[in-house]
Amino acid sequence: MRLGINPAMPRFRMPARGSLFRQYFFVLFAAVVVPLLAAGGSQAWFGYQVQRAHLNDLLGAEARTAAARIAIFIDSIENQLAWMVHLPWAQGADERRRIDALRLLRHAPAVTSLRLIDGASKERLSVSRVGLNRVESGDDASADPAVLGARTGQAWFGPVTYHRNTEPYMTVAVAGNRAAAGVAVAEINLKLILDVIAGIRIGENGQAFVLDRPGRLIAHPDISLVLRGAADRTAENFQALRAAILAQDGRAVAGPDPAGRAVVAALAPVQGPDWSVIVYEPSAEAFGPIRAAFWRLLGLLLAGTGFAAVLAYWLAGRMTGPIRLLEDGASRIGAGQFDHRIDIARSDELGRLATRFNQMAREVAISRERSERIDRLKRFLAPQVAELVDRTGDDSVLDGQRVEVVVVFGDLRGFTPFSARSEPTVIMDVLGEYHAAVGRTVNRHGATLVSLAGDGVMILVNAPVACPEPALRAARMVIEMQATVQALAATWRARGHALGFGVGLAMGPATVGRIGSDSRMDYTAIGTVTNLSSRLCASARDGEILVDRTAAEAIGSGVPLVSLGTRRLKGFDDPIAVFAVAAGEGTDARPAPDAAA
Amino acid sequence: MRRRVILFGPVSALLGGVIARAAQARAPTLPVIGYLGSETPERVASRLEAFRGGLAEAGFAEGRNVAMAFRWADGRYEQLPALAKELAASGIAVLVAPGGAPVVLAARAATETIPIVFEMGGDPVALGVVDDLARPRGNLTGVSSLSVEVSNKRLEYMRELFPMTAALAVAVNPSSPTAGSQLAGLQASAGSLGLQLHVLEARREDEFETLFAAPRRLGVPGLVFTSDPYFAYRSAHLATLANRHGLPAITQSRDFPNAGGLMSYGGDFTQTHRQAGLYAGRLLRGEKPRDLPVQLVTKVELFANVGAATRLGVTLPPSILSSADVVIE
Repeated sequence: MRLGINPAMPRFRMPARGSLFRQYFFVLFAAVVVPLLAAGGSQAWFGYQVQRAHLNDLLGAEARTAAARIAIFIDSIENQLAWMVHLPWAQGADERRRIDALRLLRHAPAVTSLRLIDGASKERLSVSRVGLNRVESGDDASADPAVLGARTGQAWFGPVTYHRNTEPYMTVAVAGNRAAAGVAVAEINLKLILDVIAGIRIGENGQAFVLDRPGRLIAHPDISLVLRGAADRTAENFQALRAAILAQDGRAVAGPDPAGRAVVAALAPVQGPDWSVIVYEPSAEAFGPIRAAFWRLLGLLLAGTGFAAVLAYWLAGRMTGPIRLLEDGASRIGAGQFDHRIDIARSDELGRLATRFNQMAREVAISRERSERIDRLKRFLAPQVAELVDRTGDDSVLDGQRVEVVVVFGDLRGFTPFSARSEPTVIMDVLGEYHAAVGRTVNRHGATLVSLAGDGVMILVNAPVACPEPALRAARMVIEMQATVQALAATWRARGHALGFGVGLAMGPATVGRIGSDSRMDYTAIGTVTNLSSRLCASARDGEILVDRTAAEAIGSGVPLVSLGTRRLKGFDDPIAVFAVAAGEGTDARPAPDAAA
Repeated sequence: MRRRVILFGPVSALLGGVIARAAQARAPTLPVIGYLGSETPERVASRLEAFRGGLAEAGFAEGRNVAMAFRWADGRYEQLPALAKELAASGIAVLVAPGGAPVVLAARAATETIPIVFEMGGDPVALGVVDDLARPRGNLTGVSSLSVEVSNKRLEYMRELFPMTAALAVAVNPSSPTAGSQLAGLQASAGSLGLQLHVLEARREDEFETLFAAPRRLGVPGLVFTSDPYFAYRSAHLATLANRHGLPAITQSRDFPNAGGLMSYGGDFTQTHRQAGLYAGRLLRGEKPRDLPVQLVTKVELFANVGAATRLGVTLPPSILSSADVVIE
């Protein structure tokens, strides 16, 4: 079972603030999304700029084309008029020129009337579509601005006037290249530009219109707008559009058309009559491609952002999932669950880390098992011994074996009556002092305290750790112990407690080893020597140390001994030779040099 | 048996309802254009075709998204007011009054709310139909051919044909609202041309015979027709009479030379009727008559029939031939 992710938790839980997952998620997400948004945003911006410039060029070209078509309309009339004033005037009626004038009316539908003025500024001929023709009227036209204007050399264009306040008209005058050829003055019905302007289509729904210099509408595909006359307010809209374009140095601008729709417009001038041709296209149509591109880009950005989020979530999960497994495993192992294993099947650093963790858990388990065992041993081993076992990690010394051991028993004299009449705290204080003194001495001499039973103590020498001259070492230890306890007993007696201390020491073969179960374990020596030592202790008087023969022989002259003859001891059929340590000056009670190593 | 009846009752009721609704959906309530015709469908066929062309330009086709209701006066103009009232009461969306001042005046008298599109030869302001061409107030707008204004040009062309004559005859329909103004204009023009005018009147078709007989009797070489829809719609009849009497004549309508008459000079009626159709469509779309300025026709056309000239024994001078928009061989 994977313990890293609790299946009961929701799959997409919100990670805790400051968690590694959160950090990884945001860093990875930002690493993808920020460049994506930056690229997308700049793409949109530059795309818009390019499209805007393109639109500007396109509309500008459309405007110039439209202006050129209007100019052709004007030029064709101008050419027709110029053709009328090629030859100088002769005296008298010129029938040929009259027919030419009638033909001009036929070929130039926009010309509603034509007047021909001779070099002397006299009207020689006038033809009209509505009014009567006049021949050789001789009217003086020298003050006519059209005649004066045309004589300056170029075609003269009069102001736009609205016939009956509705139809736009303009006077055009062209002079011949010789003064004698005179001037042709024509009235032009500008309504006929409709055919030109209605033929201009900008994109799908774009249109063109023409304003004269004061901003009056001359031509528009919807002729009814033109026919509303000079006083109409719809022209104001067009004027505003023109002003906006001129304010932008002729670049295409956005603005509303008379119907209130947003349009993009560009302008081109018509040189001769000084008109402006403005083309416009609905913004929705003009910006259609860029809008489509923008939506496309937005879609891609959203998809990219979504993908980045999924990717970041996955990657962050992939990074932090194992880390969480490791964290969980570490806490379980820390809590003592050493059989727990972190399951990360990866070959990267995290996988190796998990393997190390598992290895560590195994080793910790082994080492704890050992330390537990050693802890158990420490209770009956001298610290030096315990440490030795601890250090080597080998407790085979504690295995059962038959060895020559020295067994020492000691107990307090008069303890039973003392314990019967004393307070528990007093008893415990006395026992505490007593055990501490005995323990210190045992440790100093490298012996093993195997049992503490009230006022009785049992000590082994040469087991579990073998040592040279165990009997002598034991003897020196008990001498010191007797002296120490006697010093304590003096203080106890001073406090009114009649207590003494007796010691028994025997040497012989015994079975030593651990006994008991896992829950309760002891190290002890089993054999006659243990009984003997115990009986000797019981037989010893206060301050006395009784030694058996074997030990005495082993001690030899190391410690002065006094033979006390034989004694009958309980549990032994034969009398036992008993010796006593002659405690006194000269007795070397120092521990063997290696004992406290 | 009873169960079947019980079942069939609601089912047939449901079916009936569905069928009724389907029938309703198949014939949706199209907007209706009322067309007030002063003549017969045959006489106005070419004009009606032009009108439908204009409607189509505005996006309307009869039977698809617009219906048309016609009333024909069959030349009896005194019936027009009653027919106009009848149309106005029939729930029409737009009233079309083509073919001259009597029609539009009848239409205007019939309704003040239904938008009216007129087509006429005269000056709508002078006739009191509208007070401003650019901003027609009220519920009327429309188109004017310049036919009435160019009556004097017809006199001039006849004079081109007979430069030496001292007198010409003029045919007038005294019941026409524009008769007085046209006559005044013609008299003035005749003065500047140095001509004497013989004014001949004709109200009805049966007076045409005497009309064509009179010039020969008066010793004038040609007959000039004033602009009048009654004359215009009877161009074929006039052409026949002119040929029979060997009389050079000029009228306002191209139908006259097309039918064998000598010449015509007047506004292009296909243009005016097409424009009227376009305006009718725009009014159907909800535009207001005051936003649609009255339009004046841009094209005034001269038709000349060379064959007729040969038959009549006259020579068309270069000035006429070079001015003519169409020369019929």
